[in-house]
Amino acid sequence: MDTDLVLRAQRGDEEAFASLAVAIGDRLHAVSHRILRDVDLAEDATQQALLTIWRDLPQLRDPARFDAWSYRLLVRACYAEGRRTRQWAPNLRILPADELAGPDATSSVVDRDQLERGFRRLSIDHRAVVVLHHYLDLPLETVAETLDIPLGTVKSRLLHAMRGLRAALDADARPARQEAVR
Amino acid sequence: MSADRETTRVVRSWLDEGVTRLPDRVLDAVLDQVPTTPQRRHLWSAWRLDQMNIYAKLIVGVAAVLIVAFVGYQFLPSNGGFGGQPTPQPSPTPTLLAHGTFTAQGINTTLDATGAGSNVSGRMTGSNSDGAFTVALQCERTINGLLWIGGDVTQSTSLQNAPVGSRTAIVLKRGSPVQAIFVFQMSDPRSATCQAFFDDMLVIAPQSDIDAGLEPIAGTVELAP
Repeated sequence: MDTDLVLRAQRGDEEAFASLAVAIGDRLHAVSHRILRDVDLAEDATQQALLTIWRDLPQLRDPARFDAWSYRLLVRACYAEGRRTRQWAPNLRILPADELAGPDATSSVVDRDQLERGFRRLSIDHRAVVVLHHYLDLPLETVAETLDIPLGTVKSRLLHAMRGLRAALDADARPARQEAVR
Repeated sequence: MSADRETTRVVRSWLDEGVTRLPDRVLDAVLDQVPTTPQRRHLWSAWRLDQMNIYAKLIVGVAAVLIVAFVGYQFLPSNGGFGGQPTPQPSPTPTLLAHGTFTAQGINTTLDATGAGSNVSGRMTGSNSDGAFTVALQCERTINGLLWIGGDVTQSTSLQNAPVGSRTAIVLKRGSPVQAIFVFQMSDPRSATCQAFFDDMLVIAPQSDIDAGLEPIAGTVELAP
């Protein structure tokens, strides 16, 4: 992130913050959407996170750590959205025709469906770790720093989450195999 | 490929799909709210001062002082006037509050304060790479074991932290070494009084933030017992 932009926004420069928001908006939204699995909630969380970033930016002591700090605020906003709305509407996505082509297209769709269900069963804590590590490719140490939790907690949450997702995928595979045996 | 690796591959592939763009209307909504959303300045921030009000208050204050001074002068005893010769009185020695030269939070500081409560006088200067500022000290209070000494910024080239007319304080924790943290009101709404400034800042920056921000000073400072 452009440190100069961060510094100017810290001093209250609204134009600098606008540039900053444009630069980070998509990335924050992609993360919030993957954590919350709901477009509307993700938009609300991203909006809240961006406003909190503006409001609390003067409190950021080291502008070089802006990225990690902004993710932390975003995850907090996701927690808040998650608490606010327990009932999440299902997200339906129409797959383009070419996504359905190919030999294992059916299993891909099933995987997605199972992953979606498995992921939704996870707490926001667990989802955040999965998304920060497997989507943003942040090292576990950075995930721990970003979420302000011990490294051991990150590892255990990731392990738990991945087991849950694997179980979700296996649950799909089991009836299919039984079906094939018959 | 192990089952774990396969799960990771599938999960990563699944996460790569989906929304990647923030809708413009959301960004617009954020930027629309920015001008009306004040930034929270940790310990060094301030809202823009209402210059008009300050100057108006200053003018009224100066006028009031001049009137009182003029009226008082008319009744002063003098040769051939009312009253007798004044009895020489020993001038009271101001009570030391804090005195020293040190560096705190990277700010080179001189502190010279006497008095107590809301009757503090003296001066504090600070300078670092951002600029320099001078504070006319006005009040002190011990809050949760920490000594707050504050006043008005009267001169400044440190426009970010301590613009002229804003309030600034130094918070000192006794010990060896003494620890300190600067508190700047910057563009925050100016507190009604010097004492109220302390209270207002504790709302913006709770005691835990103050405690966390304290840093040992380099240099010496003598504090009132």
